[in-house]
Amino acid sequence: MQVNSYFSLYLNKYWRQLVISLCLLSVFSLSSNSFANQVNSTAESTSRVWKNVEMRGTKQNVYFHAWGGDQQINNYIQWVAEQVKEKYQINLHHVKLTDTSEAVSRVLAEKAADNHRNGQVDLVWINGANFASMAKYQLLAADWAGELPNFQLTNPTNNPAMTRDFGVPTQGMEAPWGQAALTFYFDSLKVNDVPETLSDLLIWSEKHPGHFTYPKPPDFLGMSFLKYALLVLSESQPSSIQDQLYQPVTAESEAALLPALWQFLDQLHPTLWRQGKHFVSNGLALRRLMSDTELQVSFTFSAAEIPSAISRYDLPDSTRSYRMKDGSLSNIHFVAIPYNSPHIEGAKLVANFLLSPEAQARKQKTAIWGDSSVLDLSQLTPTQKALFDVNEKQHLSANIINIDNTRLLSELHPSWVKVITEQWLTRYGVQ
Amino acid sequence: MIVANTLFTRLVRNSPYLLIALLVVPVLGGLLGVLLPAFGWFPALGANEFGLFGFIQLFNTPGIERMVMLSFGTSLISTLLAFVITVLILASYFNSPWLKRIQRLLGPILVIPHAAAAIAIGFLITPSGFLSRLVSPWLSGWDVPPDWLFPHDPYGLSIILGLTLKELPFLLLIALGVLAQPEIGKTLKAQHKVASSLGYCPMTGFFKVILPSLYGYMRLPILAVLAYSSASVEIPLILGSNTPPTLAVAIMQWFSDVDLSLRIKASSGAILQILITLSLLGSWCLLELLVKKCSASFLVNGEREYGGMLIQRVTHLITTVMLSVIGLALVAMVLWSFAGFWSFPDLLPQQLVTLHWSSALLQMQTPLFNTLVIAISTTLIAIALTLFVLEAEQQNTKTISAISGFIIYLPLLIPSIAFLFGLVWLFEQVNSQHAYINVVFSHLLFVLPYVFLSLANSYRRLDPRFSTVAASLGVPPSKIFWQLKLPLLLSPILIASALGLAISFSQYLPTLLSGAGRINTITTEAVTLANGASRRTSAVYALMQMLLPALFFILAWAAPKLFFRNRG
Amino acid sequence: MKSQSMSSLKIDNLQLSQQGKLLLSLNEEVKGGEVLTIMGPSGSGKSTLLNWLVGMLPNDFYANGELYLNQQIITNTASHLRNIGLLYQDPLLFPHLTVEGNIAFAMPKGDKQTRKDEISEALNQVGLAGMEKRCPQNLSGGQQARVALLRVLLSKPKAILLDEPFSKLDSQLRQETRQLVFEQIQRYSLPAVMVTHDESDAIAAQGKVITLDALSLNKAAS
Repeated sequence: MQVNSYFSLYLNKYWRQLVISLCLLSVFSLSSNSFANQVNSTAESTSRVWKNVEMRGTKQNVYFHAWGGDQQINNYIQWVAEQVKEKYQINLHHVKLTDTSEAVSRVLAEKAADNHRNGQVDLVWINGANFASMAKYQLLAADWAGELPNFQLTNPTNNPAMTRDFGVPTQGMEAPWGQAALTFYFDSLKVNDVPETLSDLLIWSEKHPGHFTYPKPPDFLGMSFLKYALLVLSESQPSSIQDQLYQPVTAESEAALLPALWQFLDQLHPTLWRQGKHFVSNGLALRRLMSDTELQVSFTFSAAEIPSAISRYDLPDSTRSYRMKDGSLSNIHFVAIPYNSPHIEGAKLVANFLLSPEAQARKQKTAIWGDSSVLDLSQLTPTQKALFDVNEKQHLSANIINIDNTRLLSELHPSWVKVITEQWLTRYGVQ
Repeated sequence: MIVANTLFTRLVRNSPYLLIALLVVPVLGGLLGVLLPAFGWFPALGANEFGLFGFIQLFNTPGIERMVMLSFGTSLISTLLAFVITVLILASYFNSPWLKRIQRLLGPILVIPHAAAAIAIGFLITPSGFLSRLVSPWLSGWDVPPDWLFPHDPYGLSIILGLTLKELPFLLLIALGVLAQPEIGKTLKAQHKVASSLGYCPMTGFFKVILPSLYGYMRLPILAVLAYSSASVEIPLILGSNTPPTLAVAIMQWFSDVDLSLRIKASSGAILQILITLSLLGSWCLLELLVKKCSASFLVNGEREYGGMLIQRVTHLITTVMLSVIGLALVAMVLWSFAGFWSFPDLLPQQLVTLHWSSALLQMQTPLFNTLVIAISTTLIAIALTLFVLEAEQQNTKTISAISGFIIYLPLLIPSIAFLFGLVWLFEQVNSQHAYINVVFSHLLFVLPYVFLSLANSYRRLDPRFSTVAASLGVPPSKIFWQLKLPLLLSPILIASALGLAISFSQYLPTLLSGAGRINTITTEAVTLANGASRRTSAVYALMQMLLPALFFILAWAAPKLFFRNRG
Repeated sequence: MKSQSMSSLKIDNLQLSQQGKLLLSLNEEVKGGEVLTIMGPSGSGKSTLLNWLVGMLPNDFYANGELYLNQQIITNTASHLRNIGLLYQDPLLFPHLTVEGNIAFAMPKGDKQTRKDEISEALNQVGLAGMEKRCPQNLSGGQQARVALLRVLLSKPKAILLDEPFSKLDSQLRQETRQLVFEQIQRYSLPAVMVTHDESDAIAAQGKVITLDALSLNKAAS
């Protein structure tokens, strides 16, 4: 439907782009059916296609647009750049974004200016709403992830999470890179009654007003907290209604599910930092407020940042991390290639390297980044598996309490983000 | 003046057109680039119908009227405050050695980028900041930081504080710059003496005699400050409320929102922002008229003394408070950049470490290189163009027209948030892939006006008899320009260059947008990190942002002294 | 005019020095209506003397001695409270005020209409009748000089200092203006000190003339 309406739009207004549109159309209509087949295509044809990619991708300049707010991650990408330089003579440039949407707007602006071949973004670190948005406006190259030899190591046939981004089929537009789960942390010297469920959190915050908050939506981390709350709060609902959280939002599902969230927030907000009259604008500000001892309990999507922040004095040595007992929101993050990248082969080589056991194992080390691997260890050779062995000396905060007895909660369908944000802003955005 | 037709003179004669084009085309093109989407035309989003739905969406935004009021109120009040304090300082310390000292103390503040200033002020005034640590727990009894809604208060008080502290040095230095011009300054000082000999107390004398003349020279800079603060992003972003934020901040967030359709609303918001800025400028002019009307009889009523002592004491107090706030903010920032863990009521960190500096300096090399390359190329172009235009003035023996004079101010008067997004679109239209060139080009928009303003006075003041004498000796115009005028003007040229570099160093939005994010400078890194988790790293970057321009100002100040000393 | 006998400006044993070097020493009394003329080349300390008289001696100078105005000591009185009017070679009219405004600015507070009448009358006397609303920039040099003079006189000073007051005027105008100024000084019976390097000014002043000579003094001091 959507593809068709776009097609007709292009047909009317942009007849000279007819050919491109036709190609896109065919790709889109085929992809949903043929994707699984492509994944399972014979090793022979894969290796032929891949040889071609390797040949053309060598020596290219690849501009990797990735959020640059964390020094550890930046250093890791620097290491990746050194590796691909050595392997393929690729010059990988890390374009540090403050927000991934900057890359989205760039590709959009290029499309607006009819720049369909020579885009400035070759590879972008993305997931969730940004991905949904780029996919909706056809800003991504499709059907390439299955070509990557290392993609098989994620065991995609048995692991549907690798081909779904917040519930939306990736259709080969993205290759998985890592996964994260919502982790809470606290100062063990100041807090002795740690809240371990959502309802505990409300009680705790009433008892210790002003020491908890979450970032203002649409910030990613703030949104994640709201999603976690919504998922936990809707558990009392019949499963048919719960399932609607994973489907595009409708007026009915909204009416059935959201009131519980607003009721909870109406109770929680007066107990928050600044009485819920001001919210920080991003997730990192939470850590700063923890460091200032204004907050006493907080949360993050990258648990590994906690020990590293302690080593840089940004958090007290007595910080400990844990997962909520009633569930931990978890998601996978990906890399994608814009449709107008002039260095698409180089970008594929980099994406493939990011999925290599070597790169994934290094990424998982707490001292490096601490981002969980997306590889299925059963698919690896013993030597490759050995790369993942942990023998580093860790700070106590790296041992996440409850990590083994918490279930992971899946992301909602991205259409919920917009609805929740809009209603949140109407309810709490003007104080 | 009759001038020979050589390559040099042709180049010089055409330079004003180039200057005007360089300023007008990007600004107007950029405006067009937001005007079209504002009225619904954005083909890439499938929006091909002109209409008002962007505006309808805009006015349905919750809290839109609060955003507008916040933008309007904070900029008007902060500019008014900055102006009043400037005048009080000038009036109280006119003819006193303290004026020079205050100038020397405040001068460096001028080159501190807005982002760094906001970070520094934030370090001071947050509930867990340096001020509250100073009084805790011995006086306040706080063991944990108080849960106050300041900064980020809904009335914009913290924004006003930040903007006032940042605008004040600018206005003060503009005023002192005017007074430093021999013909104006001398006359004004002599007139002050006359008023004094007529029995006016110095304060009243200043208000009745100096201010009315001085104000004329400060007017455009004041309007530029007003326009800038109505649409500035850094200070409201770091110190302001976000429930709701100021309009400019909201526009920036809409422009970079995941939901691409918000871009139409953002463009409509940019148009609204221009209207707000225009109405602010209009309000200021009305205010001027009102004051002029009301003060007409006050000027000549013969009253010599209006509680001058009281005003002077109040000014002493304001000045002291202000200088201590700035001083403390700097101390806090230096402490953070060396701090180990630093928990709340402690006045000093538990340990001092150099880790933050050493790791930041390692990662700083590429951004530092980019910063310098862009700033130096931008400044060289700006200086060369400015000198040519000023030379063209002398060859035509008349100053550039009023319209051209106004156009030079254009990028300072039109809110940059309104045309920068359109400018990126414009760069795309000409399919310019050269990020460096795009960034230099957009920096030029902000560097050129300041360089021009800074150089114009010295150049126009140069005694025309020098060139007349040289010409009568048979020296061609190009030689007069290169070998006579430029050496004579070495010092102002160096100062203007340092200013140009400082302006380029501080650019955030232009670098980010026209560089496609590919070009990291110290400032883009600082803002990225300011929103990040580590006060320590952001303190290091903010200090770097201050040190860099300071270094070049010191060079510009010291170089001519060394140069002339060597010549004997 | 009623205090004619009282009116005087007395410089009592003044010694002006800069960085320990004696610049000049002076001991004089000027009676109301008299003009004391100080002559000398530039650098001889003329302007320093004037600065001391109005209380604006720069910091690097040092003064010893007292200044009496009408038998009252004003050595340490703030400049604006001394009641000593000052007339420069440049008229220094305020560009943002009209002719009338410039004079009204100088006059003591009082009834608006009375002040207005006084200004018209004064303008009339110096041949500037009806020029109240003119802008000072549009006046000729001589006219500006006369407005500047009125501005000083109507501020009701108790003494007047003239700093090269006629040097910017051409000879015809110079004579007229000079005559006008000295007439007015006599009319208001003001003690006046004039600094000039023009002999004809000194002669026209008909008062005592002191010639400063930087070199000889320095010699004397050493």
